[in-house]
Order: sequence, then C-alpha cells, then structure tokens
Amino acid sequence: MLTFIARRLLITIPMLLVISFLVYLGLEMTPGDAVSYMIDPEAAARMSDEQFAAMREALGLNKSFLERYGIWLVNILQGNFGHSLSGGVAISTIVLDRLPATLELAIFALFFSTLFGCVLGTISALRRGSATDSALTVIGMLGVSIPEFFFGLVAILIFALNLGWLPVGGRLLPGYETFIDRLPHIVLPGLVMSLMMTAGVMRYSRSAMLDSLSREFIRTARSKGLPEWRIHLIHGFRVALTPVVVLIGFRLPTLIGGSVIIEKVFQWPGVGNEFIQAVRGSDYPLVMMIALLSVFAVLMASLIVDVLTALIDPRVRLN
Amino acid sequence: MSNDIALSVRNLKTFFYTEKRCNKAINGVSFDIKKGRTLGVVGESGCGKSVTASSIMQLLPRLSRIEEGEIIYHSDRGEIRIDQLDRDGREMRGIRGEEIAMIFQDPMTALNPVYTVGFQIAEALQYHTDLGRKERRQRVIELLTDMGIPMPEQRAREFPHNYSGGMRQRAMIAMAMSCNPKILIADEPTTALDVTIQAQIFTLMNKLKEEHDTAIMLITHDMGVIAELADEVAVMYMGNIVEAGTIDEVLRAPRHPYTRALLDSIPVLGRGKAQELKSIRGATPDPFDRPPGCQFAPRCDFATEACNKMPAEEFITETHRVMCWRYREILDNA
Amino acid sequence: MLRDKSLNRKFDKIRAKEEAGLLKPATGSRALRKMMSNRLAMAGVVIFAVILLASVFAPLLTVHDPLKVDLRSMLQSPSAEHILGTDRTGRDVFARILYGGRVSILVGLGSALIAAVIGVGIGAYTAYRGGWIDIIALRASEIFMAFPQIILVLLLVSITGQSLTNLIIIFVLTGWASMYRMARARVLSLREEEYVQALQSFGVPTVKICYKHILPNALGPIMVNITLSTAMFILAEAGLSFLGLGVPLSIPTWGNILNVAQDLRVLQNNWWLWLPVGSVISLFVLSINFIGDGLRDSTDPTLQG
Repeated sequence: MLTFIARRLLITIPMLLVISFLVYLGLEMTPGDAVSYMIDPEAAARMSDEQFAAMREALGLNKSFLERYGIWLVNILQGNFGHSLSGGVAISTIVLDRLPATLELAIFALFFSTLFGCVLGTISALRRGSATDSALTVIGMLGVSIPEFFFGLVAILIFALNLGWLPVGGRLLPGYETFIDRLPHIVLPGLVMSLMMTAGVMRYSRSAMLDSLSREFIRTARSKGLPEWRIHLIHGFRVALTPVVVLIGFRLPTLIGGSVIIEKVFQWPGVGNEFIQAVRGSDYPLVMMIALLSVFAVLMASLIVDVLTALIDPRVRLN
Repeated sequence: MSNDIALSVRNLKTFFYTEKRCNKAINGVSFDIKKGRTLGVVGESGCGKSVTASSIMQLLPRLSRIEEGEIIYHSDRGEIRIDQLDRDGREMRGIRGEEIAMIFQDPMTALNPVYTVGFQIAEALQYHTDLGRKERRQRVIELLTDMGIPMPEQRAREFPHNYSGGMRQRAMIAMAMSCNPKILIADEPTTALDVTIQAQIFTLMNKLKEEHDTAIMLITHDMGVIAELADEVAVMYMGNIVEAGTIDEVLRAPRHPYTRALLDSIPVLGRGKAQELKSIRGATPDPFDRPPGCQFAPRCDFATEACNKMPAEEFITETHRVMCWRYREILDNA
Repeated sequence: MLRDKSLNRKFDKIRAKEEAGLLKPATGSRALRKMMSNRLAMAGVVIFAVILLASVFAPLLTVHDPLKVDLRSMLQSPSAEHILGTDRTGRDVFARILYGGRVSILVGLGSALIAAVIGVGIGAYTAYRGGWIDIIALRASEIFMAFPQIILVLLLVSITGQSLTNLIIIFVLTGWASMYRMARARVLSLREEEYVQALQSFGVPTVKICYKHILPNALGPIMVNITLSTAMFILAEAGLSFLGLGVPLSIPTWGNILNVAQDLRVLQNNWWLWLPVGSVISLFVLSINFIGDGLRDSTDPTLQG
C-alpha cells in the first residue's frame, strides 16, 4: 500500500512541476510586472523608489527567467502565493477564507450524488426494461442536459422567490452562526449541484450493475441457492462498486470546477466565485493561483480515489 | 454402487425467446442420472447440453422457460417435480446448492474476484446448514484439504486470482460439495485447464463419486473425457439426444451417424501421423432456421427422404437407444 | 410456466407464431434496425433536426433583426408581433434565439469536430507507433485533463480575451485530450489483433495501417464521443456566456441571452427573457444525448438483440 502511494506521488510531483511551470509562464506572458505582486503592496507603497529597487534585488526579482521561476516556486511551497492585484490582499488569505465554503458545497454534493446515484442506478438495473427503468433513464438524461445554472435559476425562482421557503443566496445572514441556521442556505446550491452529478453517477452505476450482474460468478452464487437480495447486493453491487468509484474519480475535476458557476448563481462566497471576479478583473496572479490550486486538488483527490479503489478491490493491489 | 435413480428427466423442452423469435434449444430429451454413476452428455457447442443443466438447476436466463416435460428429483423426502417449482422460490433455493450442485467451465470467472475463497465456500454452508461461524471455517478447511489443496488455512483467506487454474477448479468443487449434494452437475469442468491438471480433476471426481455415492452429470464436447469418466453416455445434437446407452455400447457400437462421425474425428494415440481424421462436413444449422425432421440430415452421409421427418426413438438393447431411421444399417456398415 | 404472467403470455404468442412457420430470420443492417427501434434516439433526431433547421432558416421564420435595438418597445411580454416578447433594449427575443442558435450550435458542433479530428488523429498515430512519442502525447493529455475544464477555459479567456474564434480554439484545447484518450485506448486494443499483424507482415506502410485499417473499427465510440462532446461544449458555452465571459455580448448566443437572468428582478418578472432560451438549450442537449445513447446502443455488439 505504501509503495503504491509512493509510486503514485512519484508520478504526480513531476506533473505538478510541469503545470506550475506552465502557470508561471502564463504569469510572465500576461501584462503587468509578473512578480511585483509578490511584494506586499501596502509595504511597497510606503517604500521609496530606491528601497523598492533594493527589495526587488533582494528578492531576486531581477535575475534570469529560470531563477525567478525557482524563487517563485519556493515561495509557493512556503505558502506565499503573492498578492491579488485588486486590493492587494494576500492570495493565501483569500483562498483560506473562501475554501471552507467551497468544500462544504463539494462534500455535500459528493455525498448526496453518490448515495442517490448508486441507489437509483441499482434500482434501474434490477428493474431493467421496466417503466421505472425508462423513467429513471429519462430523468437521468434530463439531469445531464439541463444547464446547471438554468436549473439553479428555476430553483431560485420557485423555492426562494415564489414560495419563500429558502433563502435566495449567500451562505449566512449576518448574526447567524450555528450550523442549523446555515442549513437552509446550503440546501438549494447543494441540491442543484448534486443533481448534475447524481444523473451521471446513476448512469454509471446502472451500467456497472448490469455488467456485474451478467458475469459468471452471479450464476455461481445463484447455483448455491442464495437469496436474490444477497446475490444482487453482496455479489452484484459489491463488484459494480469498483468501476463506479473509478468513474467518480474521473468526474472529480468536474465537481471541483462545477462549483464555479453554482457559486455565482447562488452568491455563494467560495473560491469559485472569487475566481470569476478575478477573471473579470484580469487579476492574473489570483487567476493563476486558483487554477494551480485546483489542479493540485484534482490530483490529490485522484490519488485518494485510487487508494480507495485499491482498498475495495483486491485485484488492484497487485499493480 | 446402487442403481437407484437420483434424477429423471422426461421429454424436457426448453425454449429461448427473443423479441420476435422462439428457439427450441431442447426439444424433448429424456435421461436418468443414477446414484454413484457418471452420466456423460456430449455434443458440439450449441447443442443444448448446458441448457439441460440450467433447466435442471432452474438457472435459465430471464427470456426462456421450461415448456413441457418433467424433471423429477428423487429425494429423501419423496419425488419433487423441479419443473413445477418457482425459480427463485424457497423450495428450489433449498435444493440448489444443498442437494443438487453445479461446477462451471471457467473457475476464474465463475468465482467472485473481490471475496476470499473461504468466504465463498462458507456462503453455501451459511444458508443450508446451522453451523456457526467457527464451525463453518473448520468445514471450509476440511473441504479444501479433501480436495487436495495444500496449506488450506492460508488458502482460505486468499482470493481467486492468487490460485492457479487447477486449484481454482478444486476450490469450485469444494464449494459445490460443501453440503454433500446428491447430484453434481459438471459443465465442461476441465475445458479451461491443462491436460495434466485435467487428469487430477478426473481422479478427484471419481473419488467423490465413490466416497459419497454422488450422481454426476458431466457435460463436455470432448469424447476423450467421456471415455475416461463416464459410465453412461448421452449424445446430443441440436436439442435432441440422438443416441444414449452405457459407455461400452455407445463407444464400441455406435449406431447414430453423428456418434460415428464424432468418434471418427478424434485422433487415436498410437495410430501414427498417417491416420485419417474425418471432419464432419457442413456446420450446425442456424437455430432459427432449422431443417425439418432430423437435425443432422444435411450433414449426414446416410440421409434419405425419410429423414425429413424426425426419427422416433428406438431401443437396441434395454439401455441403448438411438434416434435414426437407418440405425440397423449403420452397424452393418461398420 | 413462469411466475411473471405477462411474460408467459408473450412467450406463448411467440411460440405459436414460430410453430405456424410465420417467422423468418431478420434481414438488413443490424445497426440500422436497432436505431429504428430505439424510439428515444428517433425522437432525439427529430428534435435536433427541428432546432437546427429553425436556426439555419432563421430569416424565413422571423422578420425581426436580432440586433436591432428599439427603445420604444422595451421589455414587452409575448404578443402577436413579438412571439416571445422583447428584451431590455427592445430586441425581439424569438429572433435572437433563432439566430443565436446558429452561433451556439456552430461553437458546440465545430469545437467537437475539430477536437475529434485532432484528438483522434494524434491518438491513433501515436498509440499505434508507441515509444516515446506515445509517452509524450500521453503526458500532455494528462496535463490538460488535470485542469477542471471551466477553470482552464476561464484561465485562457482571461489571457486571450473574448472572441468567437478564441472560444472555439480554447474549447478545442480543453477538449482534445479526452478524444485522444479514447482513440488511444481503442487503437491499443486493436493493434494486437491478428489482422494488423498480417498487414504488417505484408509490408503495408504504418500510416496506411493506422488510418485505413484500424481507425474505421474505432468509428463507433468516436461517433458517440463526438455527440457527447457537442453536448458538453454547448453547455459550456451557455455557462460562460451566461457569466458574460464567453462569446462577446454583441453576438447573440443562447448563453448570452441568458445573461440578463443574473438579475433577480428579471428572473421574477420577465420570464420570457430567460425561460424559453433555457428550455431550448435543454431540449437541444437532451436530443443530442438521446442520439448519442442510441448510437452507443446500436454500435455495441455485446448488447442482446
């Protein structure tokens, strides 16, 4: 297990390096002094020109391209992501501030979509060809066809504006702190985001179940006189779980990116919303940093999914 | 060895259905499986031998059913008409695995890859016996030892892909024999194995037959396997038993052209390179586009006009029967 | 006798027909027959065609100019003259949807096709050749696929600025990798087939084997993937334009039209500005998904007939 993780990290790290290099290249190519943002603007504003020049020299900002990249990289590894061009706030502060909100949404969506998706997909597979199956299939198709923001807008219209059951947006009204107070706010964005993923998970788990149920070992299980539920669940579903987990892993980039639009529609104060503002304002350092962090998140999540797969499927461990 | 009959099949017909068509996979077969003896069912792929096994075990796919006929299981409790039992009902499930068990062709795909071998063998025990967990574990180790698997305690905790091909098949047999079934159905048990391993499995099966008086139904396309293991033979072609009898009768004095052709197409050890291998001309017909009457007629050297009508079953001796209009001439021709 | 009574009756009917000699072996292309019998796919084709043709023949369906501003008729609800009302600057919504469809479909379909050509072209050749060229292509695709698509697209948009061609190029850049992977997987499995080795032993040149003999066998999944990519790009364009970061607002696209719905008052009071457009997008993508599913079913030989 440990060697498996070590080997995976060995592959992931060079990839991260290459991507960080590309990101830095992007920073260098965009207008503006690519590295002056590394300096705290408040401090920079108070400096005289000579002090500023000296600072640049001290930080090695006048050296060659590769050296600048190296210093930039070291900074990042130490947690210094530089400063946003609009407002001069440290990027790490911005990210840390917004991250919990985005994580909340992502975990909510991941949990519910996996649960509902697997259950509905399994039901669909077991009742293959029936009216239930057809209905679920069409609902699943609708789920992946309706643009998520459109669905979000409709949801807001119906549940927030017209019925008034749930708040229109935002994560929290000022003055409210407890988790229970926050619950109504997360329901709409969370469910809308879950919907898109549920449809996908439902289709995967349906086809994975159908595939698993058509295998020979199902016949063997039946020949032992086991009850149907055990054949479907303990034998069928358990084996279908592996491809479902793998496919969810493939979908993780979509999950991490999908929050971007949902956050905007629901005014959810997460990293995605911040990203959109940054793009609109040509705040390149912030744009690049968030992009880099999202890649990091995707790669780490893939690693976790792979470890999970190895845990549940004994055939995988040998690799 | 007693001559008691464990299972009787009478005029069994099983049809397969698609959206529009009906395939008469088995169209009236009858045979007996006797205690302590092996019935070998032989024929080319697609002739219906596996379907017969599936019908007995009620493991048919969704789009098929037993149309007519009787499958009578002679149990300790009396005669049970299997064909009338609900496929997944309690009674059938009670019989499956406990009184009639089956082993399949490819043990790699027939075993669940994510569970240990011990777990899978213990499952049958869990549902058919009252043994507690510890006792089940004991029994699993006993079974593995009986089947000749070394280091059974460790092996029970391993997964199918950790086993070699021959060991996997032994594990399957252990699983099937776990509840001491009266009848064991073996569907091409050695087709996926090396010849040397085949011999070991044969020895094992004979041992089981003798020790437990198990009735064995052995399905294969390989006449050599029949010659080794079977006490009685039934030759199947396109859903009918064209010839059946004791192993001596059928192998030494075959009366059906198909049986003759099958035997002629096997190379015989010792006859040398120059021996003539006659392959059967033509190919098996499309199941949805069958010849009228005898199914073998288009490929048969002895076919006549009369063969457009399905031959009746004739008894040559008390045990030897054949379905061919010209069976008398076949022997004279030999 | 089965427990399921209706299945029993169905079987009885088929058996009776079979014994009466009424049934014959099926003829004709299997793939076509399956498609025909797949009603969802057929419905998909119809819906797709209707929307596509409506967009193409937009001038025939409406007299209004989608770009014409008419401040005297702002925010009018649907009427006889403006079937779907007018927007904030008096432009006819129905016309904008029709003409907008042209751009949206162009972006979606165009990006998918170009991404397919590039992805499959690279995948087929590098996978077949193997060696370091394959490894480089593989690592490159992994890098592109490590980015969540929206984030990569927005990143590139922020660098290059918004324009129609830029958007198509960006979509192709973010989309080629998955086509590449799929093509690569197919080619790798086909490469080991015996007929390929036979061709090699006859001295047929590599390029010919790759593109003339292997690729056609991979066509099925490629077609399916193209339809799914089209759906994905149309949704992506809609999302981006909704945010105002996709196609420039001066060119009407389905997403651009939806842009106004960010305002909650519009959401509540002017349903004709956003609801029809959103529905059209959903319907169009749904039809594409139906078609893709139908294609997958008919080109997959392992499904029971």
